[in-house]
Amino acid sequence: MSNEVYAFALKNTLKEIKNVCPDVTNTFIFEENTKILAKDDETPEKTIRKTIEAFNDITERADTIGGAIETVTIQGAEGKVTITRMNDFYLTSVASKEADEKYVNTLTQVLIPIVIKLVDEIQPEENAKEKSPLAEPEPEEETNEADQEEAPAYEPEIEEPPEQEPGEEAAPQEIPEPEEAEPYEPMEPIEPIKEQQPQETEEENGLQIPEPPVTQLIVENLGGLLVPSDTVRIDNALIAQWNDLYGDKEIEEVDIEALNGKTTRCKFKNIKDSKYQGKGIIQIPEKLQITLEATKGELVMVKPVVE
Amino acid sequence: MVKKKGSITETASAIMMEDDEEPENTSQEDETFTTLSETLKEIRKLKGVQGYILRGTTSATIDLKEPGKIVEYAILSSQALDSSREITELFNLGEPQHIFIQGKELKTLSLLIGANKISIFMEKTADHTAILNRIPH
Repeated sequence: MSNEVYAFALKNTLKEIKNVCPDVTNTFIFEENTKILAKDDETPEKTIRKTIEAFNDITERADTIGGAIETVTIQGAEGKVTITRMNDFYLTSVASKEADEKYVNTLTQVLIPIVIKLVDEIQPEENAKEKSPLAEPEPEEETNEADQEEAPAYEPEIEEPPEQEPGEEAAPQEIPEPEEAEPYEPMEPIEPIKEQQPQETEEENGLQIPEPPVTQLIVENLGGLLVPSDTVRIDNALIAQWNDLYGDKEIEEVDIEALNGKTTRCKFKNIKDSKYQGKGIIQIPEKLQITLEATKGELVMVKPVVE
Repeated sequence: MVKKKGSITETASAIMMEDDEEPENTSQEDETFTTLSETLKEIRKLKGVQGYILRGTTSATIDLKEPGKIVEYAILSSQALDSSREITELFNLGEPQHIFIQGKELKTLSLLIGANKISIFMEKTADHTAILNRIPH
C-alpha cells in the first residue's frame, strides 16, 4: 500500500479527531524510519522532528524492556503526550489536562487503526487483477479507438461507491506532496477514491442520460518522447465503467479539475503500464500538470465528456 | 544516570548508595526519600514487579530482579526522564510528572517527585495504574 494513500486518509482522520475533540491539541503520525506520515496543520514540523528524536533516544535504550516500544505516555503538569505504535506507525497525540482521557483514547487508538484497516481493505484483490485481461501487457502502439473497443469486454472489479446527493461535490482534500523524488515503488492496487453516482438528469431523444460520474484519481507523471502533451492516461477499468454507463455514446475527452479549482479538458487513453493499473491513478503529461497546477501525488477530479 | 557515590551498602535485595557530602536543608527531601523508599519496598512485593530505581539528591536505592542489568535499567530510566522533559517543553505541558513506557516484554513507570526520581519496572500484566496510585505524589 502506498504511504501516500495512508497519508491522505490519516491526515483527514487527524483533522476530524481535532474537530470532535478540541482538547487534543496536536496529532501526528510518523513511521519507524522517522518519516512524518501525517500531521495536523497546527504542529510545526520542527517540533515533530524534535519529538521523534526524543522518542528515538528512549527506543535506543529500551532493550531491557524488549526493544520495540509500544506506548509512551508522558503526563505533564498541563497535559499529556501519548505515542502509540499502530502497525508500522507511531501515532502521537497531545491533549490538555482538561481532556477526557477515555474519550481521547477511543478517538485516537480506535479510530486510527480502523482507518488503517479500511484503507487496507478497500484495495481490490491482487489475484482478481491477475485474472483480468488488463494484467497483461498491451502493445505500445494503440489508438484511442482500439482502447474503447477493448474496454467493454472487461468486467470492472470496482465496487459501487456510496451514493451522493445530487450536486454534492467531493470535498476538496489535500494530500502531502512527496517530500523528495524517490525511485518508483509499485503501489498496491486501490480503487478510485471517490466517485459520484451518476444522476439521470439530462434528456436526449426522450431517453435519460446519466450525469457524468466524477472520480478522484491520484496524479502520476507521464513522460516520454512520443507522449502527446494533450492526452492523459486513465485506468481501463474506469473507462470500461464509462462505456457501460453510456453504451454506444462516444467518449473522447475528459474534464479534469484540480483541488485548487483549475480545470482542463483533454483526450485520454488507457494506462499501458501495468504497474499503474487498478491503483486509482491518472497519468498526466507535464504540460497539463502545469495547466492544472497539480503535481504527482495530488488528487484531481475526473469526469468523462459525454456529447 | 547514577552519580558516583561515596559509599555503597548492599542488602540481600537492594543496593543503597549514599553521598558522603550532604547538602544543607535536605531534611525534607530525606523524609520524602524515606517515605518513597518504604512505599517502593511494598510495591516491589507486588506480582509482576521486576524492581525499581529510586534516586534522591544524595542517595539512591536500586532493587532489581536482574542485578546484572542495573546499568541498562538506569540508562533507560534516565533517558525516559530526559526525553519526557524535552517533549513536555516542546508542547508547553509544564514539568513532567510521570512517564509510562510499554515495551514488547516489560513496562516501566517513571515519576518525578520533587528532587526524587523513581523508575519501576514490571511485567506487562502488572497494573501500573494501581502502582501509580500507591505512590504519594
